[in-house]
Amino acid sequence: MAFQMTRRSFLQASATAALTTALSGWLASGAKAQSGFVKKPFTAPGSFGNTTTVTGGICEMCFWRCQLVGKLRDGKLVKLEGNPKSVDNGASLCARGNAGVKLLYDQDRLKFPLKNVGKRGAPVWKKISWDEALDECAARLQGVIKNNGPQGIAIFPHGASATYPMHYFEHVVGTPNNSEASFFQCRGPRDIAYINTFGVEAGESVDMPNAKAILLIGTHIGENIHVSQVKQYLKGLENGAKLIVVDPRFSASAAKADIWVQIKPGTDSAFLLAIMNYLVKKGAYDKAYVQKNGEGFDKFAKAIAHAELEWAAKICDVSAAQIKEVADLLAKSAPHVSVHPGRHVTWYGNDFQRERALACLTGLLGAIGVKGGFVKAKGPKLGKVAWPDIGVEHAEQFALHKMAEKHKFSPPGTPTEMLRNTAISGKPYSIKACVIWGQNPIQTIPGQQETIKMLQQMDFVLVVDLMPTDITMYADILLPELSYLERYDIVKTGVQWDFNDKHQQYIAPRMPLVSQVSADHQRKDSVWITNELAKRLGHAKHIPAPSAEAMVDKILAAANLTLAQIKKEDGIHLQPGSNPYGAVYPIKFFNEDLAEAGYSGAPNYTPVPEPPQGFARLVYGRVPVHTFNRTMNNVWLNAEIPENPIWLSEETAHKLGLKSGDKVNLVNQDGVVSANAVTLKVTQGIRKDTIFTAHGYGTKNPAMTNAVNKGFDEQSLITNPAVDPETGAHGMRTSFVRIMKDGKILNIPS
Amino acid sequence: MTNSKTRTPAALYYFLAQSFRYPEQAWLCEPYFDLLDSIVQNLDLNNDALWLRQSYCANQEGLEILQIEHTRLFINAHPAVIAPPYSSVYLDQEGNLFGPSAVWVRKFYQQHGFELSGEGDIPDHLVLELDFIALLLDEGLYDEAEQFLNEHFRKWFPLFKKRVLSGSTNKFYYTLLTLVDFFTQEEP
Ligand code: SF4
Repeated sequence: MAFQMTRRSFLQASATAALTTALSGWLASGAKAQSGFVKKPFTAPGSFGNTTTVTGGICEMCFWRCQLVGKLRDGKLVKLEGNPKSVDNGASLCARGNAGVKLLYDQDRLKFPLKNVGKRGAPVWKKISWDEALDECAARLQGVIKNNGPQGIAIFPHGASATYPMHYFEHVVGTPNNSEASFFQCRGPRDIAYINTFGVEAGESVDMPNAKAILLIGTHIGENIHVSQVKQYLKGLENGAKLIVVDPRFSASAAKADIWVQIKPGTDSAFLLAIMNYLVKKGAYDKAYVQKNGEGFDKFAKAIAHAELEWAAKICDVSAAQIKEVADLLAKSAPHVSVHPGRHVTWYGNDFQRERALACLTGLLGAIGVKGGFVKAKGPKLGKVAWPDIGVEHAEQFALHKMAEKHKFSPPGTPTEMLRNTAISGKPYSIKACVIWGQNPIQTIPGQQETIKMLQQMDFVLVVDLMPTDITMYADILLPELSYLERYDIVKTGVQWDFNDKHQQYIAPRMPLVSQVSADHQRKDSVWITNELAKRLGHAKHIPAPSAEAMVDKILAAANLTLAQIKKEDGIHLQPGSNPYGAVYPIKFFNEDLAEAGYSGAPNYTPVPEPPQGFARLVYGRVPVHTFNRTMNNVWLNAEIPENPIWLSEETAHKLGLKSGDKVNLVNQDGVVSANAVTLKVTQGIRKDTIFTAHGYGTKNPAMTNAVNKGFDEQSLITNPAVDPETGAHGMRTSFVRIMKDGKILNIPS
Repeated sequence: MTNSKTRTPAALYYFLAQSFRYPEQAWLCEPYFDLLDSIVQNLDLNNDALWLRQSYCANQEGLEILQIEHTRLFINAHPAVIAPPYSSVYLDQEGNLFGPSAVWVRKFYQQHGFELSGEGDIPDHLVLELDFIALLLDEGLYDEAEQFLNEHFRKWFPLFKKRVLSGSTNKFYYTLLTLVDFFTQEEP
């Protein structure tokens, strides 16, 4: 619009009676908010500005929880570093850890409670107050509880902050329908398999620095970065450990391997059975250890007796000589062998048995409690803050896998596939509300269309997150959480990373490095949010901790510590540790409980479907600068590796006339086309029957302005997930794909 | 500062700052629209003020429309937020919050005797910058206000305004952006 006057003339004229009256009327009305300033005389800062170091940070750019310090300049976090007092990661952080600064100030972060006044999947957001948001959540959850029972609520948690609300919904509200991505789409089969072999959880408890041999099945350390684990691994290699890597792809680990077994995907269990059978037949196992601690060894030996080297060689598409070479190397290095349990193990739906095989192999080699073997650190003891179990009995009755007598070795919670099917079908009961906390089920769970169907039939969907990830598009109410740099949260404990060093234990609670309050947002921590919900749902008297800070203090009290004390100790309390070696675990080579439940009591190999003619199997993994989708919007990390190339074997590329740098899509067996064309990487480092890419890319929510449409989401192609019979966990390396270039679909030659 | 002492120009900038806060009934009230009316009339702008008053004042439905628009323009949105009201987003390469220009702004505040009241507040929010100009004017620091406009505000506000206008036809924000532009642009 054109102005009839200048600002100057306006201001001169502003003494006009009408304007003056209006101005004083407005000022007098009290409608003007307080200004965001206070007066403070200026003092010139020194040459380092006003830089201060704040201790007590615990990284959550992934879930390894390295200990941090933050450099603050005038209230702005300018840098993150490893806490020099740390005996775990030390002063080191990985690229993601460093880039945490950019998460804190990401312009796309969720800032205020939002209400969806549009539709699920096509939201229109309205900022609302916390009271309004919480009242609405409570009323709508209450409605579902009233109509459908507590089991009508499903929860999808992920990350440290989700633990407290998860326990609330399970233990107090009383729903069994908890689908934790970290179990059902990641570690579940591993943890349950080791518990049912050694009686303890696997963790990644292998003493790699002191190993003579390290066996990695699919694990690609180097692309998968967890700082202290990488240190252990590299120390082991430096100390001369022989590295065996079993992987269809020339991974970062394969590149360092003494033996690279380029196995056919899906056949790892056959490979492991053959090695064990060979060792047993040859008598090249730790007889003393097995005799003393083994259970069901004879049955086990019999059950795997068919697994000859030649048998496995054929299945695994590797030479019998190579399998023998691996077996001999393991035997020669025993008991100082790190048989790595892996981390993300939900591959083919036969994963529990593969993990059982890894545990049994560890036992056969006597590689338990000895240098280089499976060794559990002796960490410090802490207290617990727990919701009372008032709803657990109810929850148990409605646990879907128990009702159906399936997946009898499920990790805690309910297998995702059953939960989702129940929600969609309404059988055996209705699931009508969904609480999603820190998880992005669109990308964590295979079968996206089913997930969307499940969401669409809900009466209420609550999402709590940091960033507007894809799942947030389906929320009715979307709540913003404080990040790991702004909140009190878990207490990280552990010991020094190398058992050769002085034995020390550490206790490091997560403490905020920057202020929790800001005029720019109203983010809250999960303890506050959950407590406010609990109050509104009539559970005020069960609240175990009034705040996150109080929760941490309670946990610390059992170790005679306080937050105040640990602050004085620069964020990490160190105390003398003890020698972790010498632990002995009974080994269930043949597990009678499994057999009784109708599963194989000895580890077995179940063949997986073969790629149809013209297709290759799609496998996926990680890149060192990203943690799935969680880091994709981070400007620094995004700039490092913005998209996920597709790895294709040189021979295939040659036949199809493709070259590195071509832009291609993938099409799966159900005709689903990947959303964005990405760069082709032609390499000798992958089998012909396999195509690889990195997970977590291809964000669809445009509200993630850096990440949106960068790379493609391989989860969108996983439309035929397998389900592990024992655990109910998903198998996700089950998709078969062809290449599409310029709209033309190309068959993969066999 | 007390109301009685506030001078006319300062009050105008407080008014502009207020206009970009989250729309609430508490401030979208008669006196607010009286003032808006008066300014618009003095400027001989098309008389949208009446329409705005009818649409948004004491009108629950209109208020909600404005709240949704504010959320979409400045907070979080689907498909994407239109225009985060922070200078860093427009001036600094990475487009993150709290970039170098925000640091510059904070220093400018400090050098002129002002500190943000919240430890975690981000300095270069549009509301804060307009409030700050008002504070300077309140103290009679006209040259400093001009310096702030010249060295900082005018570098990003037009970019911000352009982004809002390219993604929104909302008359309230159109009018207010026009007013901010008028009261901050360089004059011969
Ligand atoms: S490994 Fe990297 S991202 Fe993970 S906790 Fe450590 S520094 Fe953070």
